[in-house]
Amino acid sequence: MDALVQELKEKVIQALNLEDMTPDDIDANAPLFGEGLGLDSIDALELIVLMERNYGIKLKNANEGKDIFKSIQVMADYISKNRTK
Amino acid sequence: MAELFIQSAVRITSDQVWVNGEKVNITHEKESAWLTDIYRHLEIQYPKFFKMDNLCKAGFLASEFAMKGTNLEPSEEKRDWSVLLFNRSSSLDNDQNYQKTIADDSNYFPSPAVFVYTLSNIVTGEIAIRNKIMGESCSYIMEKFDETQLYENGLIGLAEGKGIHHLLIGWVEYLDDKCDVLLFHVSTEKDGSTICPWNIIGIKKYFI
Repeated sequence: MDALVQELKEKVIQALNLEDMTPDDIDANAPLFGEGLGLDSIDALELIVLMERNYGIKLKNANEGKDIFKSIQVMADYISKNRTK
Repeated sequence: MAELFIQSAVRITSDQVWVNGEKVNITHEKESAWLTDIYRHLEIQYPKFFKMDNLCKAGFLASEFAMKGTNLEPSEEKRDWSVLLFNRSSSLDNDQNYQKTIADDSNYFPSPAVFVYTLSNIVTGEIAIRNKIMGESCSYIMEKFDETQLYENGLIGLAEGKGIHHLLIGWVEYLDDKCDVLLFHVSTEKDGSTICPWNIIGIKKYFI
């Protein structure tokens, strides 16, 4: 799981162009939206693309993202249970 | 018609930056992109910069240099300011990037973050959001840089009775790694930072 968390941090930084951040700057349990990384609605859509492209997970309903994208840790848990690649 | 004044003139090309005719020395890191080097030079904290397409980055950076001369904070609401930009290639530079994300049926992942910049007027919005500019913001396509058109549109933008006293107006073009920007802060007010009257000679002087 730790390896997936690290991988996910790197992919999120790359996909969302968080250029001034390193994986170590991201607290795996911090909220991704609002006070945490301060991501916006376009970032949420980009995270949906990231999940499909890298892990073969296709969200049926964009509202599911609210629960899945709570933090990197929550995302990693969801991916490990649902990934198809 | 009231006389207008150029308060600042910012020129950004693919390898040079000039502010009011003075060359700005930008440290160019071999590994990084030119526009990122300019961002670092400005020593600002605006992470959204890295999400922008190149056209927006170029316009945003020019506006940062222009606004530095005003002593106004970005967070101050600016009700008597407008943004009016022109270019030739619209958002084609980013349109091509977006097309790459949908070109291959077997690797078809349209990027929302790239898609949002597939309009040339997004750059005016980015500048307005950053600086809380509440007046009109527009972008137009011109076949080539035309100082007469720029001059006349400046007069229209700052026409008496519209309640607008400051205009960020200029040419913001970016295509295939070629950056070509000339942005002016034009005002109805003459003060200590005025560099010359708003006229065709003044505009041409800064198209270095």
